[in-house]
Amino acid sequence: MDWTPAPRRTSAMRREQNLALVGAVVSGAVIATGLLLVLMARVNPDGAARMRGVMLDIVTPVWSVVRAPFDGAGRVAGWSGDYLGAVSRNRDLETQLNAARAELQRAAADRQALVQLKRLVNVRDRARRVIGTARIVSATSGSVVRSAMIAAGRNDGVVPGLPVISAQGLIGRTIEAGAISARVLLLADPASRIPVMIVRTGQAALVVGTNSPALELRDLVGADVPLRAGDRLVTSGDGGVFPPGVPVGTVISAVEPPKVRPAANPVGAGFVTIEAAFMPLPVEAAIPNFGAPVPIEARRSGGGAPAPKPAAPLQ
Amino acid sequence: MARAAPLWRLMNAAERRRYWWGHWRLAVPAVTTALLALAMTAPLIVPVPAFPQLALLGVFVWTSFQPGLMPPWVAFLVGLVADLLFAQPLGVNATLFAATAAFVRFLETRYDHRAHGLDWGVAAGLIVIFELSTWLLMTLAGSPVPLAPLGWQVLTSIAAYPLVVAICARIQRRAFGPEGMR
Repeated sequence: MDWTPAPRRTSAMRREQNLALVGAVVSGAVIATGLLLVLMARVNPDGAARMRGVMLDIVTPVWSVVRAPFDGAGRVAGWSGDYLGAVSRNRDLETQLNAARAELQRAAADRQALVQLKRLVNVRDRARRVIGTARIVSATSGSVVRSAMIAAGRNDGVVPGLPVISAQGLIGRTIEAGAISARVLLLADPASRIPVMIVRTGQAALVVGTNSPALELRDLVGADVPLRAGDRLVTSGDGGVFPPGVPVGTVISAVEPPKVRPAANPVGAGFVTIEAAFMPLPVEAAIPNFGAPVPIEARRSGGGAPAPKPAAPLQ
Repeated sequence: MARAAPLWRLMNAAERRRYWWGHWRLAVPAVTTALLALAMTAPLIVPVPAFPQLALLGVFVWTSFQPGLMPPWVAFLVGLVADLLFAQPLGVNATLFAATAAFVRFLETRYDHRAHGLDWGVAAGLIVIFELSTWLLMTLAGSPVPLAPLGWQVLTSIAAYPLVVAICARIQRRAFGPEGMR
């Protein structure tokens, strides 16, 4: 034999090589599945609503119990900030108070007049309805989605799409709900769009989150009055979710794009109220009609009779 | 050819129980990483996404500590949990965690053990790539986010790396170390 025999693969070697190959194939398949899930999320963003609700219900009780040290830390930070600027703020507040007292006198008279006028023209105000009051127990400070979790869920009547309001102003709206907990999309989230009105000028606009401390004001419509730093923004009631007149923030810089500081800080919010959607859009279920020649989309936009109950769970 | 009887056939009830319960160690890396993800939902509301990406660091560390117990598919499941916790579109973290585990596994087989400092450098690079890919995948999933604020998370994550290593090393010693084996 004057040739060297081919090196023999031992069975152990073969086994190892096969395992490595299988491992690589499985890894590739797993990553491909993940990308597929991302694409599915693009098509159907509310796909895993039930699973998200269950996860919320698992997480929220944990943080309801271990929340105390975080609350304490936040409160201490707030106190120290309060003490540092107390004197100058006190003077500022006194001057503001004097101005506000005078303003209040005029407002009381105006309110009387308004009541009389409303009675004259028969205006019906929709009353705001509080569904529940809950604590913010947790937040996703490490995620690109800015949300907080509250300890009230479907059992308390909280469903996705309700306004969440604190004593200082608007906090956000609910986007997911479990049985005993719900998730609130905060104003700072890039997906948050709040229809607002500028109090001084009456212009309508949208307040959009940017994942940074300041919010952005976009799509300003109405009379062409330039913005000023210090302009206050309240919800306009457009879109039917947020009741009108809830403080949203203050314009801190009027240069394009205008920056807004939110009125309510979710850190110190503690308790928040969840209100019923101010004027919810009616949910119409599509009625399938298989015998018709026109495409189903065309018919659906034509409008069918509204069904008594929505077929899909309320988003 | 005589085949050995299955292990549990040769045991009495107590031994069998101890044998099955002894498998809890298999879940240690996955559970630890899921708990790190849970820690990221602490009630600290800061206006920028500044909390360190502990879950990614957990996947990275466990893939090098216990490569057999943090394969890409386990990292994928942990990523799904993270997606549900963070209200992100399902699949963003899952894809990236699985890719991280696959990458570290490749790195370990190609160039074996590395010094701690180098590990830190590799982790820093991974975090930067992770944030960029998060931004890309969020756009792909139809909910785009601004890129710049993610820089905060890169900084805090790089700073938090030694902490995660310390936590995981302590757990590793307790669960898999010589005195923990018994």
